[in-house]
Amino acid sequence: MRQTELPAARLAFFAVHFLFVLLISFADVFSVFSKSSTFFPATLNPFWDRAAEIALVPLGQTLPVRNPIHETVSAYLNISGIEAGYSYFAPNIPDNYKIVFELHYPDGRTELELPTVKSHAAGLRLGALLDEIAELEYEPLRAMMVKMLAYSVWQEHPEASRIRAVLGYVDLPTPTEFNLGHKDSYHVLFAYDFDFGPTQQPFTPDP
Amino acid sequence: MSRPSDALRRFLFTPQSTTWLAVLRIGLGLQVLFYAISLRGDWVGLLAREDQGLIRRDLMEAVLSSESPLIPRIGWIVDAGARLDLSENTVLWSLWGAIILASLLLVLGMFCRAASVVAWILYVCTAKSAELLSYGVDNFTIIGLFYLVIAPLPDAWSIDARWRGRLLRSASLQGLHRRALQLHICIIYFFCGFAKCAGPDWWNGTSLWRSLNRAPSDIIPPDLLIRLGFLLPLVGILVCLMEITYSVLIWPRRTRLIWFLGVLGLHVGIGLTMGMYLFAWIMIVLNMAAFGPDFALRLPHQIALSIEPGIQKLAERSIG
Repeated sequence: MRQTELPAARLAFFAVHFLFVLLISFADVFSVFSKSSTFFPATLNPFWDRAAEIALVPLGQTLPVRNPIHETVSAYLNISGIEAGYSYFAPNIPDNYKIVFELHYPDGRTELELPTVKSHAAGLRLGALLDEIAELEYEPLRAMMVKMLAYSVWQEHPEASRIRAVLGYVDLPTPTEFNLGHKDSYHVLFAYDFDFGPTQQPFTPDP
Repeated sequence: MSRPSDALRRFLFTPQSTTWLAVLRIGLGLQVLFYAISLRGDWVGLLAREDQGLIRRDLMEAVLSSESPLIPRIGWIVDAGARLDLSENTVLWSLWGAIILASLLLVLGMFCRAASVVAWILYVCTAKSAELLSYGVDNFTIIGLFYLVIAPLPDAWSIDARWRGRLLRSASLQGLHRRALQLHICIIYFFCGFAKCAGPDWWNGTSLWRSLNRAPSDIIPPDLLIRLGFLLPLVGILVCLMEITYSVLIWPRRTRLIWFLGVLGLHVGIGLTMGMYLFAWIMIVLNMAAFGPDFALRLPHQIALSIEPGIQKLAERSIG
């Protein structure tokens, strides 16, 4: 390629690509502003919501899910890694979610168990999963996901007959509160009971 | 297409050596390698459809399909394997092996294009099929792999160029692709900093305290952290200011080295204090490829080229 020639196709591609990156970034930051405590007055929240929606219009993300433009653009955003914005840990650090399983045995014993993974890398991913579950708005999906987690624990303790899954968040003390001796406190958000008997078949998601 | 102005053209097509591409290739190869090795013990648990892990893959892929059925996923490969009578476990471990192989080829610079495409597709498949277990590191790795796949490979340090005789692409094309990565990095930091600056918690140290105490990133004991409490607001403000000004101050010659080293320090700090090693590594790789060290140290183009193997001269001839 000589310097005097412009690779028009590449330039056009990058122009569209960066338009997508900017639109997603704006949509993300507006969405975060609408849901979080910021310096902006709360009366602006509907404005941020609307702005986020408008930013997604050129991406076809406001079209019906089965629309081919929506599907194609979504696929491109995902394979290029630009489907999410960059407001990590902003403007505030989200709550720290935790799930605890109470294992009930036929003889009346009760044990507490946490979901376990084998590596720190997977532990970070488990944390991301708990964030997703806790913030899900569709209750049946959340219940199904908690049931899957409970089932994975039951597989390790097949003699348990019932498992209560308690999902909550850990309220961390501020530095000042910590200096005063305050500790973490656990607040329950949701609790689910699952029966697993000795004849339990492999778990199948409800239709 | 109408011609852009000369200034824009000079900005977009500044001739570059291929060193940035070598950094991106080797760094991403190591990233993908570390990713696969770090998840080896949980690999089947994270990706299995049957009841072997935390969340079944078919649920995660159903959620993915609701976004778009065109997004690549593990299920496609497992289904293809089933036609060859391969069990899911066999396919998953074969995938793991293929990811390791592709990452090693990337590090070596052998069959660069094919290795980058395979690493990218397989990483997208695994990350998307376990999207509910995904966090920022996956997005940044996919971004890096995507830029690598479309980049003018090979680079002068690769086996492809040095031993297999593959010709390098023009330096101005290298410039365009490096510029794209630089601009993307600037956008990332700007929005990251902008969102942080919008709330009070990064200004008073609360967010930094919470991020360092939040499981599973609570590596530093809070008793130790509280002794350095006076530093929390200062560091929090520094993080905000560094991120939001990065997209501007990484360009002037007087400030670029300071901001470059500052942001590398930030990511080293995240890695060491929060245990987010993969996240730290990918951000360091993207920054090193985009802005360092030839850029940060203001090496003239001729010097940057001259430190590359002699094969670079082939590319120079084609610049015109």
